[in-house]
Formats: sequence, C-alpha cells, structure tokens
Amino acid sequence: MTNLDHGKFSRVTTTFHSLLALTVFFLFFTGYAIAFNTELWWMVELMGGNEGVLLVHRFAGFSLILLTGFWVSYMLLRSTSRSNFRGVLPNRTDISAFVQDIKFALGRADERHPAARQFAGYKADEVPLISYIGKGVVWIFTVELLLLMISGLLIWRKTWLIDFYNSQSVVMAFVAFHGLLGVIMLMGVMFHTFEHGFHPAFYPVEMKAFLPKDRTPNFHDDPDEYETTGIERLRLRSSWRWATNVMGVLVVVGIVSVMMASLSYGGYPVPDRLQFNEGSVLRTIGVNVGMLVLLIGLVLSMYGNVLRARYVRQRRETAERTTAADGGEREADRSGDLEGGGRPGTDGGTRPIDDRSTTDDGTNDGRSDDDVGG
Amino acid sequence: MTQDERSGQVMSQGVMSTGEGMRIFPDVEACIDCGGCVVACKRTWDREIHNQRIDITTMAEGRAGPQGENADKTDRLAAGERPGETSLPMQCYHCENAPCVSVCPTNALQKEDDGFVSVSEDLCVGCQYCLSGCPFGAPQFPDSNEGTAQLFGTGGIMDKCTGCRERQDVQKGPACAEECATDAILVGSAGEIADELEKRDSGSFFNDEAMEIIFGADDAQLFSDQ
Repeated sequence: MTNLDHGKFSRVTTTFHSLLALTVFFLFFTGYAIAFNTELWWMVELMGGNEGVLLVHRFAGFSLILLTGFWVSYMLLRSTSRSNFRGVLPNRTDISAFVQDIKFALGRADERHPAARQFAGYKADEVPLISYIGKGVVWIFTVELLLLMISGLLIWRKTWLIDFYNSQSVVMAFVAFHGLLGVIMLMGVMFHTFEHGFHPAFYPVEMKAFLPKDRTPNFHDDPDEYETTGIERLRLRSSWRWATNVMGVLVVVGIVSVMMASLSYGGYPVPDRLQFNEGSVLRTIGVNVGMLVLLIGLVLSMYGNVLRARYVRQRRETAERTTAADGGEREADRSGDLEGGGRPGTDGGTRPIDDRSTTDDGTNDGRSDDDVGG
Repeated sequence: MTQDERSGQVMSQGVMSTGEGMRIFPDVEACIDCGGCVVACKRTWDREIHNQRIDITTMAEGRAGPQGENADKTDRLAAGERPGETSLPMQCYHCENAPCVSVCPTNALQKEDDGFVSVSEDLCVGCQYCLSGCPFGAPQFPDSNEGTAQLFGTGGIMDKCTGCRERQDVQKGPACAEECATDAILVGSAGEIADELEKRDSGSFFNDEAMEIIFGADDAQLFSDQ
C-alpha cells in the first residue's frame, strides 16, 4: 500500500482540523483586514465594519483557544492518543533524513533519505508514518499558534499586565510580535494549502485530513505479495496542471506581497510604528492575492468535508442495498468491497473496487494509533 | 499697585494664541480643582457624563507639602520632595511625538499638519492600543461598557479632546482654557507657554521624557532651561 490512503487521524482530530482551519482563516481575514486596512478595506466592511471586525477577531480567537484546549485535553486523557505526543518528537532518523535532504539539495547525495519520503507510492513499511517534514509542520504551527494565542490574549486583556503594559514600547512589542507571527504563519498556511491540495496524488484535497481513519479502507495483507502499491492506477485530473501553475503563482505572489507589505510598513521585523497605511496599487493587488489563496484554502477545507459526507452517504447507501431482506450477511461488507460506490480516490472522485486489496474494518495497517499530523 | 508694577511682568491670559502650531499645557500651580474646565467641555461638546475628554487629577489630596498648602509645587518636585496636594487638568496635549499615533494600527489617529492630533471615527476599530500608549490617559472609550463591546472588550470607538479645533479655527480658545478661572490651561506656541510659566514662576510638572513626548526634543529644551 501507499501512505496515500491509510487513515491518519481520528474522527475528533479531523473535525478539530476543519474547525481549527475555520477559526484560523477568520482570524487571518480579520487580523489582516485590520493590519492592511488600506489594501483590504472591503474585507473590513465584510467583517462587520470598523466597529465589528475586532469583535469577530476576538470571537474567533476565543473559539480557537477553547477548541485547542478541548482537543489537547482529549488527546491527553485518551490513553491511546497520549503516545501521539511522543510520536511527533524528532528522533535520530529524522535528523539523518534532514541532513541527507540538505546534502541532496546541494547535490552531494544521490537520493533523498527513505525517512524523508512521505508522498510517493512507497509501501507502508518503507516510509515513516510521519516524516521530519510532517513533524516540522506540526511543531511550527503548534509553536506559532501557542504564541499567537498567548500574545493575543494579553493584548485583549491588557489589564492582566497593567503594571507594565502602559508604555508605547510594550504595546508595540506585543503588537509587532503578534503581527509578525501572523505574517509568518500566514505564509506557512498558504504553503500548507498548496502542498496538500495540489500534490498530483491528492489534488484537490488530501482526504486523510477529512475522512477519519475508522472510515478509511485499510490494507492488512502482506505487502510483499504485491509488487506495487496501486499508485500507478491513480488518474491525474486534467485540470491539475494549469490549476497547480495558477495556484503556485498565486501562493508566491501572496507570500511575497504580504512579506513586502510588512517590510515596507516601517521596519521589519520590528516596526518603528504600527501604521500600516499608505498603500499602493501593486501592494493592494498582492495582499488581496494572498487573501485569495487563504480563501481557496478555506474552500478546499469545506470541499474536503463535502467529499467526506458524500463518501459516508455512499457507504451507507451501499450497505443498505446489500443488506438481505431476511437479515442475512452482507457479502460486500465482509469482503471489504464496496459495490457500486467504491471509495474516494485521491482525486476526490471514486475509485474502481478492484483498485486494491483492502479491508474495511476501520483499523489501520497495524501501526500505532496514529493521530499524528503530517 | 498692579502686578505689572510689582514684577515688571504681566501674567497673560491662558489662551495666548490659537490655530496652527497650537500647544496646550497645564500650569499646576494655578489649578484649584474647581472642575470648570470639565463643565465647559461637556457643555460645549455635549459629551456623555462618563466621557472625560478633560479630567482633573488630584494627587496627595489633603496633604500639605513642605512649602505649605499651595504654590511652589514644581520647584519642590524638582528638589526631590513631595509637593503635597497637586491638581492637574489631564487631557490630550496633542503631543509632538504622539505615542497614540505610533501605536494605532489603522491610522485612525493622525498628527495633522496644523499640530492637532485627530481621530477618525471611520477607521478606529477600538483596539485600545492608544490607551496603553498614551502616558496621559487621554483616550476615552465611552461605549466600552455597552453590549457586545463589553462582552468582547472591543472598547467601541475612541474619543478624546479635539483641542476645540473648530473654535480655534475661528480664533477662539478651547472651551476649557477660556472657562478656566485661574488660567491654569495654557494655550499657545511652545515658546509662549514656556515664557508664561517662567513669568508665573511656575514650571512643568512632567518629567523630561514626558516633555519630549509633548513638545518634541527641541521645544522641550525651552522648559528645561527655566
């Protein structure tokens, strides 16, 4: 099998991921509408005007903190999930993979380290469940979100630090820090959207982020009995090439514009003042392109949930059709095949049932209870 | 015998000049905490009862300084002593290096060409950074205790002393300064204010850092030379 298709996340985590995306996107939209209000004046109006935009920002921020607090507690309380916190810790293999990747990039190594592979059609025992890149994404976003939440809370509840908050320097330090983190994280989210939405094997969405592992068909046979993983049977959508090129350009323009806009607003990373105004046509276009990339990410996140709902409905209909009137056994379920409905392909459509040998019992491939990201 | 005959100098009115380049500054030796300025401001601008565009801050209330009940407060302060009860009309001083302007993320606060610091109601998002940045407590958020603003702490739209810009445009002084019975609110250029304080044998109650914020590094020297 490939690691394209095994379920990686639990139901709670996939739901958490979608809600996290929703709150983070709203935080970005409102935060950027405030910071780059000259370029995004229309977004300020859309988010409740100058009197409502901060309200939406704070509501989304509070929701994010509640959501994260719930998810972390849930993961800590579930004995089967606690190991995930160890699972994302970097180990020696990750360091070797990172070093070899650097050498590879510099032309001093012939191939990438096996532990650096995460997308291509390798069998499950050939690649780590989560590579150092996946761990990096988890850690970077975790640290960024944590710092954004803390600094955001302190900015919101200024009275908590009233004894030493009341000075221009401290205000600017907090706000510049919060804004700088926002810029860095925005660039990461844009890249994250591109990386997971526009990979040829996943385009337009990577279903493992939306379909819980207990609903994902899994492979439990001996991998050695199969020469390939079935990746060669994937069909590339005809729109992938131009869509990826367009999205790639938008991501680069968006990232560069947001960074340049931050630079030109009086010093980077620490501004001499917080005035973000005095826009230009070029910067207005660029920053809006960045917001468009974010919007595409939000739409793709919703689309992933649409695909999940569609797939779950198909499975239910299939199960209903195959149930014998006398209450007999459902052959299709026992064999793991899904007559008529198939399973969602990585292209968002359905795959033929003879595409692979899978069981459909809701377990993964026998590895750890893998709720880790990547 | 007039004051002129005694000292050779005449105290000016509080309002010495208006309009472009106007500065506004308190004379703590003169302020008697009568509240006239607060009343004049509210009467002129019809502000809510809890919206203090100008407010009198009284420190060490009821305590006498080493010099007695009144006067000589700034000298006592400069000598490192506690000057006793001191009242100070606090408002927006339309600072030369206004911290509120620097920390405003939406450009709602502007230092205008004529010297006034203005707030644009259409741009203010109620983040209250200006409240944290201002050393003088000038920013007011009269709607911060209402409905969703209270729930989410958004503060509503910021409001502050306008310097009675409209009045000054027609050569009238700010309502507070015109009303002040003891001419404790001085309005004019930095030089005029410095000269007036010197004539009154008064001084600044603020430290050097605050003076540089209000008048800028160059003009602040006018006061330190006294």
